[in-house]
Amino acid sequence: MDKTLSRWSLVLGAITIPMMVWNLYNIFIFVPTEQSMGIVQRIFYFHVPSAWVAFLAYALCFVFSILYLWKRESWHDRIAYCSAEVGVLFTTVVLLTGPIWARPVWNTWWSWDPRLTTTLILWFIYVAYMMLRNYATDEQRGARFAAVFSIVGFLDVPIVYFSIRWWRTIHPKPVILGGAGSGLHPDMRYTLMFSAVTFLCLMGFLLIQRLRLEKARAELNHLKRELAY
Amino acid sequence: MTNLGFLFAGFVVVWILLAGYMFSLSARQKKLSREIEMLKQMHGKK
Repeated sequence: MDKTLSRWSLVLGAITIPMMVWNLYNIFIFVPTEQSMGIVQRIFYFHVPSAWVAFLAYALCFVFSILYLWKRESWHDRIAYCSAEVGVLFTTVVLLTGPIWARPVWNTWWSWDPRLTTTLILWFIYVAYMMLRNYATDEQRGARFAAVFSIVGFLDVPIVYFSIRWWRTIHPKPVILGGAGSGLHPDMRYTLMFSAVTFLCLMGFLLIQRLRLEKARAELNHLKRELAY
Repeated sequence: MTNLGFLFAGFVVVWILLAGYMFSLSARQKKLSREIEMLKQMHGKK
């Protein structure tokens, strides 16, 4: 298991670094500047892929939480926990880059708009999930509670995704699968998709690193228990 | 701040967060490895 993780970590690390360099070239040199917002719109190519990979991380957390409750395998719980942490990292990226982009465009850092508010709630849900894990005195009980919490908390992900379709909002409408009148210039679409794949590789790399850490922690706890006897 | 300034700030934030997280992972991994090594030695002596 550890060897497989190391191998994947190496492969993803080797892929992600050149992809990130190419991604930066695309974002700063290749892609045309958006006409109404100007150069600041380039934040979009980090902001949107971060949101997508955060959703994916929470989906992994959701699936592995269900599997943990069903099969009670500790590795399912470990993947759920690590995915939540990586998801929080990328949601933090979204929540910080969003206001920096919004300030020159909307003339405000923050608005209690449905998309922004539901995203902030999502961040709080998974921060609470991690706190629940960290402060649980009984490890298995904590894992069970956290699994239930993450399954319920995942309900906010579709709400965040559909918030810009369901309600009137200051946030831009979807540019991918957004229906009539939406869409991107082909070069912008390519840059966005390339950035999304790059962020996906980065997320995979970080998740594997986090899993290796969790595996080491499990080994440490096992050794501590053995020494106690 | 100009548009370029906001763009710069946005990218600096992203890189600080990602680098900080990777640094924290590496520091936590080193600390755990040290503790595991120490416990293994204690286990050997026991």
